[in-house]
Parts: sequence; C-alpha cells; structure tokens
Amino acid sequence: MISFRMCLRVTCAVFILCIISGCWSSREIEDLSLYVGLGIDVGKETDFEKKISAQGGHYPKQNNVTATVQIAPGNSSSQKSQQSGSPSSGKESYSNEQLTGDSMLQIFRQFALRRDRPLIGHHLKVIVISKDIAKKYGLIQLLDFVLRDNDIRPNCLVLISHQRAVDVLTSDDPSRIPAFYLTGITNNAYISNKILEPVSLAKLDAQMQSGSSFLLQNVLNANGEDKFSGGSIFAANTTKFLGELSQTDLEALSWLMPKKQGGVIKTYSKEGFTVLYEIKKKKIKIIPKVNGDDISFHVKAESEGWLMEDWRAPEEEEKGAYLKEMENDFAELVEQQIKQLLYKLQHTYKVDVAGFRDSIRIKYPKTWKKVKGNWDEIFATIPITYEVKTSITNPGSSTE
Amino acid sequence: MNDSRVKINTTQAVVIIVNYMLGAGILTLPRTTSSAVGTPDVWISILLSGLIVTGIGLILVTLCRRFPEKTVFQFTREITGRWIAYILGCVTILYFMIISAFEIRVMADVTGMYLLERTPTWAIVMVFMWIGIYMISGGLGVIIRVFEIILPITLIIFVMEILLSNQLFEISNLRPVLGEGIMPVLKGLKPSLLSYTGYEVMLVITAYMQDPKKSNKAMTWGLTISTMVYLITVVMVVGSLSLDGIKTRTWPTLDLVRSFEIQGLIFERFESLLLVIWIMQIFSTFAITHYCASVGIRDLFRAKKIRWIMYALLPFIYLTAMMPKTVFETFALGDMLGNVSVVLFAILPLVLLLISIIRKKGGKRA
Repeated sequence: MISFRMCLRVTCAVFILCIISGCWSSREIEDLSLYVGLGIDVGKETDFEKKISAQGGHYPKQNNVTATVQIAPGNSSSQKSQQSGSPSSGKESYSNEQLTGDSMLQIFRQFALRRDRPLIGHHLKVIVISKDIAKKYGLIQLLDFVLRDNDIRPNCLVLISHQRAVDVLTSDDPSRIPAFYLTGITNNAYISNKILEPVSLAKLDAQMQSGSSFLLQNVLNANGEDKFSGGSIFAANTTKFLGELSQTDLEALSWLMPKKQGGVIKTYSKEGFTVLYEIKKKKIKIIPKVNGDDISFHVKAESEGWLMEDWRAPEEEEKGAYLKEMENDFAELVEQQIKQLLYKLQHTYKVDVAGFRDSIRIKYPKTWKKVKGNWDEIFATIPITYEVKTSITNPGSSTE
Repeated sequence: MNDSRVKINTTQAVVIIVNYMLGAGILTLPRTTSSAVGTPDVWISILLSGLIVTGIGLILVTLCRRFPEKTVFQFTREITGRWIAYILGCVTILYFMIISAFEIRVMADVTGMYLLERTPTWAIVMVFMWIGIYMISGGLGVIIRVFEIILPITLIIFVMEILLSNQLFEISNLRPVLGEGIMPVLKGLKPSLLSYTGYEVMLVITAYMQDPKKSNKAMTWGLTISTMVYLITVVMVVGSLSLDGIKTRTWPTLDLVRSFEIQGLIFERFESLLLVIWIMQIFSTFAITHYCASVGIRDLFRAKKIRWIMYALLPFIYLTAMMPKTVFETFALGDMLGNVSVVLFAILPLVLLLISIIRKKGGKRA
C-alpha cells in the first residue's frame, strides 16, 4: 500500500516536472516577423499584387489603403523583396512589405499567405501616415485597428508624410532602419523648437477623444533621406487632414506652449550681420480673461538665453546698449512670427492647436462648458494679445 | 485541520484585508470612476469613498466584536433566528463564490489578451485554481503566511511601476479642481465605493483574531493602505493619459504602463511584469473568497470536514467563472457584485447591529 502511494507520488512529481518546464503557446522569436514601422498610403497596388490578381489570386476588397510594414531585421536570403534596405548581397537591416486592401487587419492577415513568418506588432515604433490618405479618411478610422490591437503598444509614435509613407520608410543607407531613425529624430525635440513634442498613440487617442483639433509632425523625404519639417493640422470632428504649419510656424508655436524648450532665434543687425540667440529658459503664461460672454487671451512670454553667434565685423565689445537693442530685435522677431501664426490659426484654418483651450478649461470651467461644443469657431474670433521679452544673460564662452 | 485554533494578530488582519481588497478591480477602476465623474476630480471621489467605507467597516467590526470567536455565519442565527440566518448565510456564501469566480475570469481575460494569447482559458484557470486549493486546504495559517509574502512584493513593485510613468504625467490633466462643483464628485462615489469591496472579510476573520478589540484598528489600517494604492493609481492614470484618453480604453491601468518605455532600467517594458505581479494579487483575492465561502458552508451547516467543502466548491466556481460569454458580461457581473455587496455588507451589518442591541443579543462590547 505504502509503496503504491510512493509510486503515485513519484509519478506525479515526474509528470508535473515535465509540464512545468514547458511553455504552452511559446513561439520562437526567430520564427516571427517583428514589424517596427507601419506606413499608411492611398491604395496603389504593387507589381506583385497586380500580377497575382491577374492570375486570379484576389479576394473581394477595395483598394483604398496600402499598408507598408517595415520588418527588422530583413530577409537574409538572396530572395529580394521589392523595397529592401540594400539591393546588394548579405543580410538586410530591414525590409518593407506592401499590401493593398480596405481593412488594416485583413491586410495584416493577408501577409500570412505570403510570408512564412507571421507578423507581430509588439515592437511597432512608428506609424507614418501620408497626407493624401489623411485627407480621405479620418485618423480615427485609419488608426482604429492599431488602437484596438492588443500587441501594439500605445507608446508608438505617429508622423505625417508629405509624399508616400513608403518613401519615408525607405532609406538609401542599408545599415539604417528608417523606423528607428525617425524615433531618434523625435527625441531631439528638446534641442529644437521646430520639432513638435512626440505624439504617441496614447496621446493621440486622448486628443481625438477630447474633440479638439490637433497637430502632428510632418516628415519630408528626398533622395532616400528624411527630414522633419512643419506640422499637419487635423480637424476636430472628422480627424482629417486640414492644413499645414511651416517650420517657422512651429517656432512661433513654441512661444505659446509652456512645455516646449530649446530653440534659437536668428535676426540681422542693422549692418546686416547675422546674430543668433539660443533660448535657455522660457517662461510662458497664457492668461485667459472672461468678461460676460467675451473671451480674450493675453500671452506673456519671457525668455533667458545666450548670444551664441554674432557675425559683426569688425568685432566690437558687446555693451549694454547693443545688447538691449539685440534683445528688442529678437523679441520683435518672435512677435512677428506669433502674429503670422495666429493669423493662420484664426483666419486661414480656424483651429486652436496651440492649447489655448487648456488655459480656459482650467481657469474658467463654467465658461468652457458653454463654448466647448464649437470652440474652434469661437477661437477664430477671440482677440489675443501677446508680449515677448527676451533677455541675453550670457555671451557664451567668448565675449567678443 | 485545527483551523479554529489559528490565531492571527492585528498586522496579519490588515494584510488579509488589503490582499482581499486589491484585486482585479484596479485594472478598470480609472475608467469606471472617471466616466461617472466626468471631470478630473476622480481622485476626490476615491478619497471620499475611502472615508465612507472606513465608517461602514467600523460598524461591521463593532457587530463582529459582540460575538467573540464566532463568524458571521454563526452569530446571525442568534440575532435573527434560524431561518433568516440560513437565507442570509446562503446569500453571503454565494457572494463569496461569485467574487472568486469573477476574479478568476478577469485574470483569465487579461492574461489571454496580453500575456498568453494562444493558451486556452481552461488551462490558465486550472493551474490557478489548483494552486489556490493547495494553499487554502492548509488553513488560515498557511493563507496568512503566503499573503504576508505576496503583499509587500506586489505593493512595492506595483506602486513603483505606476510612478515610473511620471514622464507622461501632466498636472493640467488633473486641473481644474472642483471646476464644476461638488456634484460630479458625488456621482463618482458609487463606482469608487464598489472598488472598496473586500472589507467584509472581517466578518469571518474577526473570529480568529488574537485580540478582537484591535479589529477596528486593523480595519482602519487596511482601508488606509488600499485607499493610498487606489489614489496613486487614479492620479497617475488620469494625470498621464488624461480623462478623454481613458474613456475608450478597456484596461486603463495596463495601458498606462504600456504607454512608456524606459531604456536602460533592466526592463524596457513593464506591462508583463505588472501583470505577473498583479496576478498574485488577484490570486490572493480568489483564494480568500474561496476560503470564506468554504468556512461559511462549514459554519452554517455545521459540517465537520472543510477540506471536502473546498473541493466540492471548485467545479461551481469554475462554471460560474465561465458563465459570462463576453467581456461586457464580465464587467456587468462585476457591477452586480458591487451592488450586492453594498446591500449585504454596508446596510445589513448596521441593521443586524441595531437588532442585536435592541434584543440584547451577544456579549457586551468586547
């Protein structure tokens, strides 16, 4: 009897040991395709797809959207994909795969018919959406799958491309993975005020849900290289592309956003020499005023910075009066830029993407409740005054 | 099975209360409360309901202390008579069973979604329940020892992870404070009160306390710790993802942790760690409710062998857990449980206490 129980115990122990060391639904990472970038374009079938459908290999769909997935690392075989990192031999650092359809998930699943390794989205870093598709469909539609998916993390970044998104996700340098490269540039937001604060899916979802218009960073592409320039405005309710802000507008915008740091101001002295000012510290206050039904804003911006470049020749000592003059010049330039920006926002596009809404929401919650519904229209008529003060605290390492 | 001889001290009672209270609810708490409140004042609701629950909890332990060494299933009989006691006892047992089923279900849903996508649900649940029964069959002493290990680990790691999200935190998401007056805060009281279910464990535990006089101290401490954890969670989730951002998220607390990456801190992504840690917490809630239901059946029907009751309950809990067909039904079940708990453990103890005072039942206040 005892030996029987003993036997049972040993069997149990061995059995459990066998089970415990296993893993139920594990999949080897080598057998998966990690996609790190996703491009969304207006539907345009690739050669491959055209040939396949000519043979009857198509399924019922409309060719509305072309999705590009960037898989890293790319194919190691000699088999070449259409958009690969390096056309030469060896292991490629990434490969781009394109498919067309009318549903994101269906497109993704369609890859299972083409590639031996299934796609997984845990490491998606950046989503690039082309301007043209964003004019046709709202972001809330294009990104619905991405927001629902349980693999894709909400910290994935969203960018807007001028031309086709697939071009932005292609680089001439074979060692460079464009998706990582783009995330890297976004991290430079602290050094330049021409880059918008990175917008992750989580933030974007909050903005779309809050019913406010919003800005996303633009990426341009030429000769296989990418550059960040300006931003795209998206309308509040449709979440469709509405218009663009230039680099200079973004600079001006940074003077209305308390969180944004860094940046330079360039002006020309009376003699026509370049003078450059680097912003080190900035204090911005947006003061909303409500008087009955009249809303107005006053923006107070103060900055401290260093005089980092002065092309004046022959060099003279930078004395009080000269610095004062420069300070005024810088402030004037900034005010000029703000004026242009506000004109664009209030008259051309009639949207508030500068965060004025937040200041009134916090200071005057009761008024906000009344104007919330059609804030963008009301914003267009609101008088906004601003004063900018720049002070030079340091001439850098050289006093001349 | 010398279960009744195990005595627990005040700290251990606190550990049990906190372990029971912190369960699956915290994963959805920010969404349920903030959709009811509608303004960023969610945290005030949490704080306020913490205070209210402390009041309710103190009434509950006052009731328990009138009947030293007896669980709720034993002393209700003395207060209300036999038949009502049977009905109340059965309802309470059913409640404990359904709660433990609910916790298992939420655990299975979340793991299925974020950790083990292709593992069948029954396999996840099976392991969970087997380990649970192994632990509770050891009796209260074993449960407490395990809980004392679980609690500090989970709490420290959970709070640390939530605080790591400070890079997303923006204070303007929490402003304005009381911008629309106090009304929204009051609207949020109900869902936040529901998240505090778990103090009812004292109905059973007080009977085993070394020093039942300190049961109100244990209650207060237990609730303070839970309130702090809830408060930190809600403040960080709302402050980082903003009110509009969590409206549509199914599991906002997990999404907060999924919304950032930290390079160079051993892990880059923390959601798996959070889930693994939090599963321990869900496990403890499951185990203690399973145990309470078993104790209930034993005391109500004066059975001898609690171990058989525990095994007999297993299939029922499993079937209940598998009953909700969709995730919406699971959430609905959770809401229903909350509502029942308010009636059963907030209103009823007060009534019982009053009756017992009027009918002069139970000992003088211990």
